[in-house]
Amino acid sequence: MIRPEEIKLSADQSGKWGMVIDQDICTGCQACVAACAMENNISFVGEADSGYGRSMHWIRIERFWEGEYPEIKMTPNQPMLCQQCGSATCEPVCPAFATVHSQAEQLNVQVYNRCVGTRYCANNCPYQVRSFNWRDYKRPEPLPNQFNPDVTVRRRGIMEKCTFCIQRIHKAQDKAKSEAREVLDGEFTTACAQACPADAIVFGRVDDPESLVSQLAHRNHGVKHLEELGTLPNVTYFKGG
Amino acid sequence: MAEYTDAVHANVVHEHKDHAKEHLREKHLMLDPLPRGKMNEMVMESMTTTSWKFWVVFGILSAIVAGCLFYVWGYMISEGLGVTGKNRPSYWGLFLVNTVFWIGISHAGTFISAILRVFKAEFRRPFTRAAELMTTFGLVQAGFSVFMHLGRVWLAYWLIPYPNQRMLWPNTHSPLTWDLLAITTYLLSSTMYLFLPLIPDLAMARDRSTGWRKTFYKILALGFRGTEGEWTHLRNAMTIFAFAIIPVMFSVHTIVSWDFAAATRPGWNSTIFGPYFVVGALHSGMGAVVMVLAIVRGTMKNMKYFIRGEHFDAIAKLMLIISMAWAYFFFNDYMVQWYGGDKWTHQLLHFHEAGPMGWMWFAMLIFNIAIPWAVLWNQKWRSTPWIVFAVGLLINVGMYLERYIIVPVSLSINRMPFTWRLYYPRVEILLGIGTLALFIWLYMAASRLIPLIPVWEVEEGQMAHELKKFGRETVVSVSELE
Amino acid sequence: MSKQFSRRDFLKLAGVGAATTAILTGCGPASRLVRREPYLQMPEYTYNGLSTYYATTCRECAAGCGLVVRTSQGRAIKAEGNANNPLNLGKTCARGQATLQGLYNPNRVRGAIKHKRGDRLYDTAADPFNDEFPDAASNMDWDAATQVVAESLKNNKPEEIAFLMGMAPDHLFDLATDLANATGITAPVRFGALSMFESRATLNKAAQNLFGQSGLPFFDVGGAQVVFSFGANFLETWLSPVSYTRGFSALREGKTKLRGTFVQFEARMSSTAGKADEWVALRPGTEAMVALAIGRLAAESLGITTPKVFADVDPMDAASKSGIKLETLEHLAQMFANSNGALAIPGGAALGQSNGLAVAEAVLALNALAGNFGKPGGVFFSALAPNQTAYQQPASAQEMADFVQKMIDGKIKVLFVHGVNPVFELPAALNFMGATKSVSQIISFATFPDETAVEADYIFPDHHGLESWGYQRVATGSKESVLSGAQPVVTPFYDTRATADVLIAAAQLAGGKFASALPFKDEVEFLQSKIAPLMSESNGFFEAADINTFAAFFQQYGGWWKTIDGRNVPNGANALNRSISAAESKFAGDGKFFLVPFVSPTLAEAGANKPWLQELPDPTTTVMWNTWVEINPATADEMGLADNDVVQITSDAGVLELPVYRYPAIRPDTIAIPFGQGHTAYGRYAEKRGANPTDLIGQNYNEAGDLAFAGMKVKVEKTGRKQALSRLESLMGVYGVGLGEEH
Repeated sequence: MIRPEEIKLSADQSGKWGMVIDQDICTGCQACVAACAMENNISFVGEADSGYGRSMHWIRIERFWEGEYPEIKMTPNQPMLCQQCGSATCEPVCPAFATVHSQAEQLNVQVYNRCVGTRYCANNCPYQVRSFNWRDYKRPEPLPNQFNPDVTVRRRGIMEKCTFCIQRIHKAQDKAKSEAREVLDGEFTTACAQACPADAIVFGRVDDPESLVSQLAHRNHGVKHLEELGTLPNVTYFKGG
Repeated sequence: MAEYTDAVHANVVHEHKDHAKEHLREKHLMLDPLPRGKMNEMVMESMTTTSWKFWVVFGILSAIVAGCLFYVWGYMISEGLGVTGKNRPSYWGLFLVNTVFWIGISHAGTFISAILRVFKAEFRRPFTRAAELMTTFGLVQAGFSVFMHLGRVWLAYWLIPYPNQRMLWPNTHSPLTWDLLAITTYLLSSTMYLFLPLIPDLAMARDRSTGWRKTFYKILALGFRGTEGEWTHLRNAMTIFAFAIIPVMFSVHTIVSWDFAAATRPGWNSTIFGPYFVVGALHSGMGAVVMVLAIVRGTMKNMKYFIRGEHFDAIAKLMLIISMAWAYFFFNDYMVQWYGGDKWTHQLLHFHEAGPMGWMWFAMLIFNIAIPWAVLWNQKWRSTPWIVFAVGLLINVGMYLERYIIVPVSLSINRMPFTWRLYYPRVEILLGIGTLALFIWLYMAASRLIPLIPVWEVEEGQMAHELKKFGRETVVSVSELE
Repeated sequence: MSKQFSRRDFLKLAGVGAATTAILTGCGPASRLVRREPYLQMPEYTYNGLSTYYATTCRECAAGCGLVVRTSQGRAIKAEGNANNPLNLGKTCARGQATLQGLYNPNRVRGAIKHKRGDRLYDTAADPFNDEFPDAASNMDWDAATQVVAESLKNNKPEEIAFLMGMAPDHLFDLATDLANATGITAPVRFGALSMFESRATLNKAAQNLFGQSGLPFFDVGGAQVVFSFGANFLETWLSPVSYTRGFSALREGKTKLRGTFVQFEARMSSTAGKADEWVALRPGTEAMVALAIGRLAAESLGITTPKVFADVDPMDAASKSGIKLETLEHLAQMFANSNGALAIPGGAALGQSNGLAVAEAVLALNALAGNFGKPGGVFFSALAPNQTAYQQPASAQEMADFVQKMIDGKIKVLFVHGVNPVFELPAALNFMGATKSVSQIISFATFPDETAVEADYIFPDHHGLESWGYQRVATGSKESVLSGAQPVVTPFYDTRATADVLIAAAQLAGGKFASALPFKDEVEFLQSKIAPLMSESNGFFEAADINTFAAFFQQYGGWWKTIDGRNVPNGANALNRSISAAESKFAGDGKFFLVPFVSPTLAEAGANKPWLQELPDPTTTVMWNTWVEINPATADEMGLADNDVVQITSDAGVLELPVYRYPAIRPDTIAIPFGQGHTAYGRYAEKRGANPTDLIGQNYNEAGDLAFAGMKVKVEKTGRKQALSRLESLMGVYGVGLGEEH
């Protein structure tokens, strides 16, 4: 049962940037995972820690099995990343205001230098897409030469997560502003979407009905994950198949 | 005005006068008065008689505190939380188990000294102090555990609301902020509430000691001389505190429970978590009180006079009732969650029972319900210190398991099955041992410095109690002094 | 407008827009290098906070995808696909993304080294995650190195000098070929483990047998309606994964047609098969039979006379031998016959068997039945790259064995190795290691301290791909004829030198026919001489009148390609009128299990030294940082094997010990092992990690000379030990392990 004021709330918080992921064409090739790690200075953690659930991937590709041999099927690959919820459960629980909703971008932003590491946000994230810097994961010289200067490098004790490549959003906005225009649809995209060889990930403005991502998102069979929790996620999935 | 306390009333015996009198005297501290001076001496003696065994234990504990707590913590701070066993999805682990556990322990002190004082339960008199010390020292461990939990503990002061140029304040929406405020309030108020009834005893100790002890007690006693006016003010203050601290006590564990209940997680967001946690806290707290009393009685001089079977009996009765209350809330919590039919909650409940940590779930029920119910119905067993000690220990193990099940075991299961993973504690174990050692260490140090028995309170009770004869009956009567 | 605007068109436009505004022409046509400068002395074209973009070519595999690398302050920051390049249209795979981790790898050969064979090139004791620099120091300068190369050229008979190179037909291959042609040196041999696992030679040979023309077939997956793939893992590493993934996406998206159906035939569900609508787990060795049976049933379903090629097979027999139900075969045949655009692809393990050639021919014959040659969604011959006259096939395993034999026979005195790591990539059974003992001088041009460099006398490290000039011919994957161009995006990090420069300088030093064979000042001049002929070609992506402008555009756009479809149509006239043996393949060894080695989709043959590739979960098992063996859970139960139990796998050729992954989508009589790990050198992230399944593969070849790598039968024994595999997935959540009994 949804009350009218809740519908209003949803409309207000429908978000600005959104993503559509077509699971039917996602091949699970991990290009998005690699692209995300390269773009966002994500640490690698080594065999022991990654096997213990401490890998730092901001996007992971989930797959399950249906049935038993020989009638077995791999479920459609499901790239899981921060859903940039309009009403995010991670935000209210942080005692330090380190995970907040940005008014300008309508995204969940993680303020690295404000994070004290209570990890409450990660517990409360129904999508389990936050990663915590359990250690100062080392990158021997000269690997640090690769650091993206637009993205903060995180130290131990800090929570991090997908930002929808906010650095790219800002660059595009700055450029558009200097040219006295709006950001064009498709002028830039996130690292994962840019890499995806199958074009399974599309990123753009969901508040612009003309944008490709909104048009795709309104195709009738899109689903949002755990929508019943009222988190108002901004990532739409097509299960397809 | 004469009235019967429950405890004494239950023990009225129909026998010949002298026999009966003697019997009652042996059983009940309140009916076995000693001169005030004698009691003061006994308490002073218990405080200053220190055997070599004490120092051996104290030395070992100091080493454990230095090694397990401070060294390991330093190592953990410099290496990061990677040295713990936490992972995705068990972002919280033993540290929060310990926090909840220690806050639970701390509840017993307030319960005994405030609630029993408000309800004028006479049996409380000799051990209010011992229980209050537990509150304060338990909260210290809870504080340690919370700070250990932080990824960047060196920035913990950001959680405190202090004025700053950037107008950055803690997030009042966060249950953790409430928690911090609640625990701080509780620590401050319980420390004050520990201190108030201590003043007359400190004054007593000041008058009976020399050297550094004299200076120490002189400073702490705040010049208390025992005038009528001082007593009136002290009594008023204690009464106000006793009433005021009860809601604080209830709120603190309720708010701790909201850390979980306010979260969007199956198995956590249960509306009954508040009272469930409070009762759970009392359950473990009472168990801890009897353990402390049994140890104090067994190891410290003159304590057999002050702490008797009747006290264990009385606390054990409370334990039994609390165990029933806990069972009720447990059932209620389980029932409603199960009936709710949410598939993730079902999965979690199933995981609790049948998962790899299922033994914990059964052990919890046995220790928290079956054993207290099986043992504590018997008055003779209730009055035997070692039996009650054993039950108290098992209840504490059971309650620790309960918190373990709520925190890391429940975190292993969430709405994203792809991420489910078990938690295996690593250095948290050492740090947990460190907090336990620090708790005992503080208690042992306090037992050398603070009169563990509130002599004035005992004397007050003894003065109020007398044996009266109504015909052939010997009856205990208590007059209202306060 | 937006209604008709597909995401494909959209991304094309977006990519083109971004690329044209951003990519710069290096530092002008005259410059030879990019400079890396400290912040205080910024080159004038660099601004703080503004990035410079360079188009180049990805060298992580031989596909030749175009890259645009973002640099800042002279440091490469991020690799993206080059949207102009028709091969990958702005897209990359995971390995392309991680190419920077090769450039900035902590273990690279830092300068010219004279080296005792077998000695380590970096400190083994080093903790992979610490900050030390344990690499061997350079102990000679480049003048001395050039002298060494010159002397080896001069002082040996030309036929005793051999070049062993990587799979990609690149400018260095052209240079070595020119040198060889002019001086009589042995023609350079190109090899790569990928070509071995792709069974390229078999594909080429089958095409030749059926169509009478040599070339690498191109399968237009995107245009098809029904795709049957026999073992071709085209979404992972096969031929040109990025472009085939794009095709798959188009197959599924179905903008102008229905969503296409995809059926994969293989014993182990690969991540390609995971995307299939139907996975047919046929018994290994029966692929040819099944393909022919489907052809026969399809012909019957179409109501035409059974073509000769399918006439001999008995579908009942095929069904019973392959373990597929006859109804399934009939249903698949009807699907194939009645679809409006059916395509069948042979590849991978299906061809890596003793009857691999028959499999490839049988599957290509299915296409003949579908009549899809040269049609959208059909089979083509890949467009030949510009400045190429014939398909340049990498060496097959048989040819490599011959090469090794030449080494053993002492017919090769000097071996130059570049871009390939034969000690690791060739199966141990081919004995490359043993053969090196008969070669008096081995010179490796390895960028990384790989196993072959360890066995070399000299290591004269080439630049990393992102530090080098060059071009790479695109063998397949695009409609257009493509030459991907490479330019340095950063100044070389270490004292490395372009192998082309070394060879040119050495040839000059050697004088005589060598000097006249390579009359160039440096690599760039050689490259310009090679691309100059393209100026006169028509239909180019760009045109220029003089070589400097042309070379500048070549750099700016990342190569040169035509704007027209350059694919050839195979002549399938006789494809159905021949006979193909439906016999099962023969297996070496008497073990109980079929062994399916497959290339790790994330690591491939050379990704193991890049830590982020190691930490990418395998698409099917989600295992990171290690090698595993996949066993069907039912079989594992029979053998009492739990996850992470270490088993010993014994074949005719060798023994391996690996932890078990109970893989639910593999035949119970089959086990599978990924290839990519098991290095004994190659840097701190690769070394001593996992195992190399090629150790289990014996010297068995198919008729086309490809290795029958999937033609082994192996024994599996429990060892009683355990080794935990790092998985991203949850054993509890995905497999229910440890959750207690079901409700």
